[in-house]
Amino acid sequence: MTGTLVLDPLIPLPLLAIVAALALAALILSVWRRLPGWWLRGLAGAVLLTALANPAIQQEDREPLSDIVMVVVDESASQRISDRADQNAAALDNVTAELARQPNTEMRVVTLADGEGDLGTTLMTAVSEALAEEPQARVAGIILISDGRLHDIERAPNLPAPMHLMMTGQPGDWDRRLIVSNAPAFAILGEEVNLTLRIEDQGDAPDAQSVLLSISIDGDAPLTVPVPIGEDIQLPVTLPHGGMNVLQFTIPDAEGELTNRNNAAVIQINGVRDRLRVLLVSGEPHPGERTWRNLLKSDPSVDLVHFTILRPPEKQDGVPVNELSLIAFPTRELFLEKIDDFDLIIFDRYRRRGILPSSYLENIRNYVENGGAVLISSGPEYGGAESIYRSPLGAILPGAPTARVFEEGFVPQITDVGQRHPVTEQLDLLSPNPEGDGPGWGRWFRLVDVLVPEAAMTVMAGLDDRPLLTLNRIGEGRVSLIASDHSWLWDRGYEGGGPQLELLRRLAHWMMKEPELEEEALWVEPTGQTMRIIRRTLDAETGTVTVTGPDGTETELTLEEVSPGRFETVWDAPEIGLYRLDDGEETAVIALGPSAPREFEQTIASAEALEPLISGTNGGVMPISAGEIDIRTVRPGRPAAGRGWIGITPREAYRTAEISITSLLPAWAYLLLASLLIVGAWLREGRR
Amino acid sequence: MLTGDATTDEVAEAGLRGLSQTLFRRTSIEPAAPLGVDLETDELAFFPFLYWPVTADQPLPSREAYGKLNRYLRSGGMILFDTRDADTARFGSGSPEGRKLQAIARSLDIPPLEPIPSDHVLTRTFYLLQDFPGRYASRDVWVEAAPVDAEQVEGMPFRNLNDGVTPVIIGGNDWARAWAVDTSGRRMFPVGRGMSGERQREIALRFGVNVIMHVLTGNYKSDQVHVPDLLDRLGQ
Repeated sequence: MTGTLVLDPLIPLPLLAIVAALALAALILSVWRRLPGWWLRGLAGAVLLTALANPAIQQEDREPLSDIVMVVVDESASQRISDRADQNAAALDNVTAELARQPNTEMRVVTLADGEGDLGTTLMTAVSEALAEEPQARVAGIILISDGRLHDIERAPNLPAPMHLMMTGQPGDWDRRLIVSNAPAFAILGEEVNLTLRIEDQGDAPDAQSVLLSISIDGDAPLTVPVPIGEDIQLPVTLPHGGMNVLQFTIPDAEGELTNRNNAAVIQINGVRDRLRVLLVSGEPHPGERTWRNLLKSDPSVDLVHFTILRPPEKQDGVPVNELSLIAFPTRELFLEKIDDFDLIIFDRYRRRGILPSSYLENIRNYVENGGAVLISSGPEYGGAESIYRSPLGAILPGAPTARVFEEGFVPQITDVGQRHPVTEQLDLLSPNPEGDGPGWGRWFRLVDVLVPEAAMTVMAGLDDRPLLTLNRIGEGRVSLIASDHSWLWDRGYEGGGPQLELLRRLAHWMMKEPELEEEALWVEPTGQTMRIIRRTLDAETGTVTVTGPDGTETELTLEEVSPGRFETVWDAPEIGLYRLDDGEETAVIALGPSAPREFEQTIASAEALEPLISGTNGGVMPISAGEIDIRTVRPGRPAAGRGWIGITPREAYRTAEISITSLLPAWAYLLLASLLIVGAWLREGRR
Repeated sequence: MLTGDATTDEVAEAGLRGLSQTLFRRTSIEPAAPLGVDLETDELAFFPFLYWPVTADQPLPSREAYGKLNRYLRSGGMILFDTRDADTARFGSGSPEGRKLQAIARSLDIPPLEPIPSDHVLTRTFYLLQDFPGRYASRDVWVEAAPVDAEQVEGMPFRNLNDGVTPVIIGGNDWARAWAVDTSGRRMFPVGRGMSGERQREIALRFGVNVIMHVLTGNYKSDQVHVPDLLDRLGQ
C-alpha cells in the first residue's frame, strides 16, 4: 500500500494557467495600488487556484512479485570434454542451493545444446530467448555456466540485471589442435594443390617443438612426417584419383591435453579432370560421324581432336594442292609424341590403309596397357581384310571378327550383365516400349559378327544375341567395341530413335574412368547426418557393409537391391565425423559434417569474449575450479561480484491490484477558506 | 527424289551416279548406287542426302509426307533443291519451277536462308571453292543463314558455327545434268563450251563432292582450324 500526492485539475491545465495569470495580475494591481489587504487577496486567489488544481492522494494496493534468476547451462560439445560435465553439475547445484536461500527468488534453468549444423555455442541466442519469455522487470540476475567460448556474442541482448559467468575448465588446461586453413572443394587431377596446415598449442602447453603428423588418403595406411608446432606448413597435395578424395590429417593425442577431437582434420576434395582430351579418327566420312561430333562437341569438358581420312593415299585426281582443302594427318605427332595426353582414342570405321604404320598401332596398344582407352566404332570394314583387328592393336580388342557382316534389321538388347553395368544400366527406361516387353527403340541394320574373348563383357547384344557392345580392361586401360555403325539411326529418329547420345556419352565417360561410372563402387550420399549407402556391382548379390564410426564402433548394415546391380540402404549416423565403409571388396570414406567442428576450435575456457558484456552489468567471472560461491543481494548499480560471491539485484517488482484517488480537502473547505480570506481582505480594506 | 517426270528422274539418277563415281574415285567415300525415293512410301532416315529436282507439274507432298520431310530435316538430313532454271530466272521468281518450289517449301521447316557466304564451310569441305556452278553458273545458291551471334573472331579465318549442317541448299544450276554419266560412264550432257565448259563441269563435280562431305562431316573442316592450337596445348 503506497500513497502519493497527485494533482487532478478540475479544468484543463492551460485554462488553469490563464486563471493563475489573471489572479497574479490582480495581485500586482492591488500591490501597485497599495491596497492594505493585498496579501489576503493573494491568499484567497491561491486557495481558489489550489481548489481548481484539486490535489489528491493516490493510493495503490501492491502485490509484490518474485525475482527471477536465469541460469543458462552450456552443454555444448566443448562442455563435455575433460571434467567439465561434472563442473557443470557442481556449479548448478551450488547455484540452486544458494538461490533457494534467497527469499522470494525463482530460478529458471535453460540448457543449451550444440547449435544446428556447425553454429557452435549459441549462448547469447539462448539468453535472448529465455529473457524474451520473462518480464524484464523481474529478472534479478543471469548466471551462465559455460566455458565462455561462444559464437554469437553479436546477438547479446540488453541485460536488465547483472550477468555472471561461472566458468568451467581448470587453470592448467592446454590443448593442441590441427588447423587446415585453405582446403579447396575441387582440384584438378595431376595438379598440385597447396594446403596450409598449422599445429597450434593453446593454453598452458608444455614446450614441444614438433609433433608427428600422419596423413591418410581415403582411409589408407597413414604416412607420418614430423612437423613444427605453431608454424604454417605448406603441404602440396596431388590427388590420386578422380571423384571424392578424403584426406585425413591426424596428430597424436598428447598427454594431458583437453581433447583429441581437434587433433584430426578431414578434408574432402573432389578431383576433376582439367579437360578430357579425345582423339577421334574417322576412317571415312559416313552418316554416323556427325553423331560422334555432336556428342563430343556438346560436352563442355571435352577437347576434341578430330581427323577424318577424306582421301586415302591411293586415290589421286590431279587437282592442284592449292585447290584442295586437305591437310596432312599428323600421325607421328598424334600417335608417338602426344599419345599419352589423350584420355580416349576413338577409331570410327577406321580401316588399315597404310596410313598408320604397325609400330604406331603397337604404340597405341602400349598406351592402353598403361591406362589409355580405345573405342572402336566399327563398320563393315571391321569384318574385312583391312580390319584394324588385323594389326598389332587386334590383340587387345574385345572382339575378333569372323568376317561375317549381317545386313538385317534387329533391335539392340541389353544383356543381363548390361543391366548391371553402369554404361547400359536402365538405358531402356529412356525409350519405354508402349507395347509391352523389351526396349522401345528403333532397329539397326548392320552387325559385324565378332567372337568375344572370355575376359571381355558383352553389355549389349544384337541379331540372335550376337555381341553388339563389348567392353574389356587391358592392363590399366580400357577398350570397347561397337560391332555396328548404325547407332546414328537412333539419332535420326528412325522407328522412334533411341538414347544414342546417352549411350555413347556413358560409354565414352566409362572409358575415361569417370568415377560415377565404375562397375564396382561403394559410395555414400549424405544428407545432413543421414547416409544413403549405395553399392553398385556386377554380381547378383553383395555382402553386408561394415560402417566404422569416428569413435570406432562398428555397425553392420545389409543393403537391399533397388534395381539390377544397385543396392542401397539409408542409415542415420549418430554423430558427425569420419566414417569408413567396407564390404570386403570396396571401401569408402565419408566425412559427415565439418572437417573440424567449430566447438573444438577453441577449447581453453576463457571469459575474454564475454568480459565486456559482463563488466557492463557489474557482474563477475567465477572459475568453478576456485570453489563454491555465495549469492548475495546488492542494490542495482553497485558492484555485484567479489571474492567468492556474486550478487543479484532484487527488482522489487509488484503488481498493482487497486488504485484509489481521494481529494486532499473537500470543496466546502476551500470555499470556507477562500470566503474567510476574501471577507478578511474586504474588512481590512473597508476599515480604511 | 522421284518427281514423276520420267526424263527428270532419269537425269537425276544419272547425275547422282556421276557424283558417286567421282566420290569413289577421288575420296574415301564409297557410296552405294543412288536410289529413287518416293516421298509417300519410302523411309527417309537412311538417306544422308536427297537431291530434289523441282518440276513445274509435280504434285505437292501429302500431309504425312511433309511430317516425314520435316522430321528428316530436323534430325540432320539435307535436301538439295534444284529448280534447273538459272539460265532463265532469278532465284525465287519468274519460272514455273520457282513458283513450285515456293509452294513445296511453304509447309517445310526451313530456317532463314542466305546466299552461301564466302566463309561457309561448304567452300572448303574438300575442295576450295568460291563458285557453285552446275550446267548453269548462277551465284544464286542459298543455304541456312548463319546465326546472328556468330561473330567473326579476331585472328580466325572463319566464323565459328555449330556443327549443324544446313538442312537445305537451294539453287537453280541444274547440277544433275552437269554430273550425269550414263551406265557406261560417259558424260551425258554438254556443259558450256570447250575447255572452259569442262572446267565448269569439274567445278560442278567439286561442288557435289563438297556437299556430300558437308553432309557427312558437318563442320569438321571449320574445326580443323583449331587443331594446331589444340595440339600445341597438349602436353603442357
